[in-house]
Amino acid sequence: MKFECGDLERAFEHAQLMPEAREHLKHCAACRKEYRLWNEISSTARELHEEWDTPALWPAIRDVLGKLPNPQGRRPWWAAQRTWMLTAAAVVLASTVGVFSVAPWQQHPPQEGQEPAAVRPLASSGNRDLLTEQALAEVERTESAYRQSIDKLSHLAQSELLKPRSTAGVNCKEKLKLLDDAIAETRANLEQNRYNMRLQTALADLYREKKQALQELLTSDQKN
Amino acid sequence: MWEIGLQLRFAASLPDNPTDAELATECKRGNLRAYERLYDLHSARMKSVAFHMLGSHADAEDAVQETFLKVYKAVSAFEGQSSLATWIYRILINCCYDVLRRQQRRAEASPIRDHPSHSDLPLKIALRGALSALNERQRLVFLLFEVEGLKHSEIAGILEVPEGTSRSWLFEAKRELKRMLTESAV
Repeated sequence: MKFECGDLERAFEHAQLMPEAREHLKHCAACRKEYRLWNEISSTARELHEEWDTPALWPAIRDVLGKLPNPQGRRPWWAAQRTWMLTAAAVVLASTVGVFSVAPWQQHPPQEGQEPAAVRPLASSGNRDLLTEQALAEVERTESAYRQSIDKLSHLAQSELLKPRSTAGVNCKEKLKLLDDAIAETRANLEQNRYNMRLQTALADLYREKKQALQELLTSDQKN
Repeated sequence: MWEIGLQLRFAASLPDNPTDAELATECKRGNLRAYERLYDLHSARMKSVAFHMLGSHADAEDAVQETFLKVYKAVSAFEGQSSLATWIYRILINCCYDVLRRQQRRAEASPIRDHPSHSDLPLKIALRGALSALNERQRLVFLLFEVEGLKHSEIAGILEVPEGTSRSWLFEAKRELKRMLTESAV
């Protein structure tokens, strides 16, 4: 095939024609100009890429995403995973406590007013291992997250709690006051005895009850 | 023992170089670090594409933000039939079209509103002007291939057309640009 000026565009589209096109370019100034422009369009196009700093953009996106519900419409995976981790932690604690309860050679009969041996602080046993320490830290972290979530519920119910508009609201307020006192007392006891499984469970129950009371209050408030 | 009653966002760690599948999985779990990684990987190019489609930096940033919002909301339906990046760019381009529709301004009307810098070379200015006169599909393929350096296989995935169509549209775009630039030079 004899390559002619009109074939140049076909060569741009079909690379297999390029060797013949290059031969033609050696003798045709007009086509060389066309060819140069074709290549310049590509090289200049790369300079059109636009870059500018946007230091506030990701934080803004993160904030928006952070307020959305989980993409899968259920509890975040870490909550589910944490449930497993906490179950494991509870098993570790319970089994460690269990070991103590069936190891009479390390136990002394409980004195009047003294904690039963089964819930005696493991810290004093000298047998506490790293896993137990990590498990307890996990429990405490989760307790903190749980407390924060309940604080948010409390915040939502604040107006109703300040000025209850119904008998149920008044009762709920009193119940919450009692629960708060009990929580404060249990937490104070736990600070003295972080490894006490019974106290941890009691605190969890109290929080659960408080959460339920707040949810009932909010639900009745919405109905009213 | 403890149960998390309220849904709280989280940011768990990621592997150093997560695969596409790992990133998608973490995004589905709502891991904000996965979204941050996507942002680090793609935001510069996403902003540039959006800028060329919308004509202003502010609109481009809004489009990128809107894209991440849509990605977050729709990621549970992402099945991995295309790459995550391809899927994100597809959403970005749709976001840009939404913006254009909302503002009732066609891309052909005045796509570049931010003024070029004085250091722009004449061909660059001319090319920018000529680019705005292309039809949408030609301009988009040219932007993605020549300006942003994507491959035809990626562009085909983003625009949901065969790879040959992407090549063909690029050729048409360049031929049209060459014609416009030659005529303007005369």
